[in-house]
Amino acid sequence: MFRHNALRCTVLLLLAAAALFQALTAGYFGLEILTEILILAILVLALDIAAGFGGMVSLCHGALMGVGAYAYAILSAKAGLSPPVAMAAALALTGGCAWVIGAICARSHGIYFIMATLAFGQMAYSYVFEAPVFGGDDGLGGIARLDLSLIGVDLNDSRSFALFCLAVLGAVYGASVLILRSGLGRSLAGVMHNEQRMRALGLTVWRVKADVFGLSGMIAGLAGVLAAQHVMYISPGLLSWTVSGEALVVVILGGLGTLVGPLVGAAAFVLLKHELSALTPHWHLVVGVILIAVVMSRANGIFGWIEACWGGRAERRAAKAVRKQKTKEVLSDA
Amino acid sequence: MLETRNLDKSFGAVHVTRDVSLKLERGERRVILGPNGAGKTTLFNQLVGELTPDSGSVHLAGADVTALPVAKRARRGLSRSYQKNTLFDGLTVEENLGLAAAVHTGSATQLWSDSLAKPEVREIVEEVAEQVNLTDFLQARVSEVSYGVRRQLEVGVALATRPHVLLMDEPTSGVGPEMAKGFHDLLNNLPRDLTLLIIEHDMDLAFDVADTITVLNYGEVVFDGLPEAARGSSLLKEIYLGSWEDA
Amino acid sequence: MAHDLGFWTLQALNALQLSMLLFLLSIGLTVIFGLMHFVNLAHGSLYALGAYFAASLAAIGGYWMGFFLAPVAVAGVGILLYSGLIRRMRKSGPMAQVLVTFGLIFVMLDLTRIFWGDLALAIDVPTLFAGRVELLGIEYPAYRLFIIGLGLAIFAALAFVLGRTQIGAMIRAGVDNDAMASCLGINVERLFFIVFCVGCALAGLAGVVAAPLLSVTPDMGLQILIPTLIVIVIGGLGSLKGAIAGSLIYGFVQTFGAVLAPQLASVLIYALLAAVLVIKPVGLFPAKG
Repeated sequence: MFRHNALRCTVLLLLAAAALFQALTAGYFGLEILTEILILAILVLALDIAAGFGGMVSLCHGALMGVGAYAYAILSAKAGLSPPVAMAAALALTGGCAWVIGAICARSHGIYFIMATLAFGQMAYSYVFEAPVFGGDDGLGGIARLDLSLIGVDLNDSRSFALFCLAVLGAVYGASVLILRSGLGRSLAGVMHNEQRMRALGLTVWRVKADVFGLSGMIAGLAGVLAAQHVMYISPGLLSWTVSGEALVVVILGGLGTLVGPLVGAAAFVLLKHELSALTPHWHLVVGVILIAVVMSRANGIFGWIEACWGGRAERRAAKAVRKQKTKEVLSDA
Repeated sequence: MLETRNLDKSFGAVHVTRDVSLKLERGERRVILGPNGAGKTTLFNQLVGELTPDSGSVHLAGADVTALPVAKRARRGLSRSYQKNTLFDGLTVEENLGLAAAVHTGSATQLWSDSLAKPEVREIVEEVAEQVNLTDFLQARVSEVSYGVRRQLEVGVALATRPHVLLMDEPTSGVGPEMAKGFHDLLNNLPRDLTLLIIEHDMDLAFDVADTITVLNYGEVVFDGLPEAARGSSLLKEIYLGSWEDA
Repeated sequence: MAHDLGFWTLQALNALQLSMLLFLLSIGLTVIFGLMHFVNLAHGSLYALGAYFAASLAAIGGYWMGFFLAPVAVAGVGILLYSGLIRRMRKSGPMAQVLVTFGLIFVMLDLTRIFWGDLALAIDVPTLFAGRVELLGIEYPAYRLFIIGLGLAIFAALAFVLGRTQIGAMIRAGVDNDAMASCLGINVERLFFIVFCVGCALAGLAGVVAAPLLSVTPDMGLQILIPTLIVIVIGGLGSLKGAIAGSLIYGFVQTFGAVLAPQLASVLIYALLAAVLVIKPVGLFPAKG
């Protein structure tokens, strides 16, 4: 079950403030990077719900994001649906796909779960790559952004779009916390800690897993819809398994099962990528080395590490308080 | 209430359950005795559905449940505790009980509300916590409490699904005599209409709570009857106490 | 679309050749997993490395120098990886292993780019197998037959080693229960090391033999990784039987799928994998029941 503590709230507020400041003041390039971070953050929140809180380490979340993006692109650009309707339909479709994948994979654990999700992700990738309606390797262009002119917002302006993504991310974060604190979220925690006992208590475990995976997939689809609107062009590369792998890297680098950590991870990853790729074409090398170092250090990512340090301090403080209390009692007894 | 007919199970060459037919009436309290390796836990696993018997059937409240998965049997009022603690270690005692109560009340899959905040869940949690003496430990994490407390919680979690039939696998396993006495009181305070099937090694406890006794040896029912008869039976002494003294 | 018998023979041989290539890759990966419970996503990178070593060595001393030395060189890289990273990651969960080896993919990808550049390298088919051979009424490239033969030979050798020799018995015992195996006095640590090196060498060998057929590019390891993983998951982790069965299934489904249902070919194999996982979540022939 997810709990906020002082550290998480502080980091969350700092992140929100930084993003808002950036969104209001940055130039075009800064806004592009910010939007990229925000969209990745939505994807990794989705993955953290499944992997961090449900133990469902998925290598198909990139593909689910791609399904959302393609569904939106096809429905809005080719089928002529209005963007809000296309968006809702894309989310429903991605959620449905993810629910089915979750239901099928619910019996698999560990490496088999990872491989099974990888297979489904690759299946989507190959299908999109091959089917002519999706434009194959060339991808699809001319994707429209949501029209918010009714409330006086023009999303074609990159500042407005960044702010819009920030608002969506905020909503997704709130929804994630609600999901994790619901009856479903508590049961998910139960399943992750002890699946056998949950079953013995009468819980239909696969349904819980499928429901959560479906919700998580829907959020990934939302990231895809935003990504399609952001770049206004999509290609099958979006569904490649390396995208899922990178999302997993971000969740781990940030801190699995902390929600806030993956947000930090998303910001760090995108910034690092841009900084490094300006310096060297071999930025993957550096990212790879950092990844290996973090995982080998056995800390739960950047945020996990901070939390552990913080937790150590808090524990020492608590111990000190207990000692003081005891001394007082001894004194008053005397 | 709970019945097995000709239950049979082998693992390769090892015949772990031989033609076991049991019948428990509603409210009956039966203790299963038998030396280690007699197939007691294996029988439990087949009753709850964690193992599928090779042949024979399991009936719960008159209905054949042999083909039903674990969760569906549990929802029909069959609950069990484990010989080895099978708890949610990272969660608090309250959350452990709450998970079970939430499944029972149907709020375990709800997306729109926190199951632990629901009055019907809270009511069960508090009541069970009182029954198993855990009221003072509700906020403690399972990983932080003593073995004895976990042992109580093991039974508490099984009780929090408000079962009609409760299977307890050696509830006093590994606890001291004082705590065993506590379990004794707990068992005597359970509602009379709850059907109980208990695997127990503590003879005093067994003969005290049992309405009926079943003795298993090499997977086979070798005695089935009243405690008084079991106490006098030379067969039981030979099989159970004999091997017990040897060990 | 009347295809004659020759056409189908050709397709069957193509399928077999793909299967054997995948077998060389998957056998190392699957036994390493079965024995050490270690998921090495960088296995494909070792394959790419094998191809690059072969390309460089072939430029110096011809194809056969690469053929014999490149697998050894890849095994050398395997030793470095084993002592530097993998020994320490053995007890970590699958997720940590997936991530570390995912990081390794990034690192090795860029390292090959730095050393050999982005452009594709080509190496020639050795003169010994340069021509075509008349077989079952069709003409078939001798080099592809060589790959089929090599794969079958390695399969036979491994079946003999695993089934009939003492070290094979040790490996099987280790796959079955490594704690018990070490109680029986088997030096499990050394066994792991040997198996890991042999697995790496076989991956390198696969890279060498694939090099003349495909062009040698930095991402060839990434491209082969997914098929290899599919093979071992369909076949079941840890077993020789699983690796060969999975390879054949993949090779034939892929090749004949492309002929019979071109639109569905690539989706077909993933659908098959999903179906296997639904029906038998641990694959067709897992080493452990």
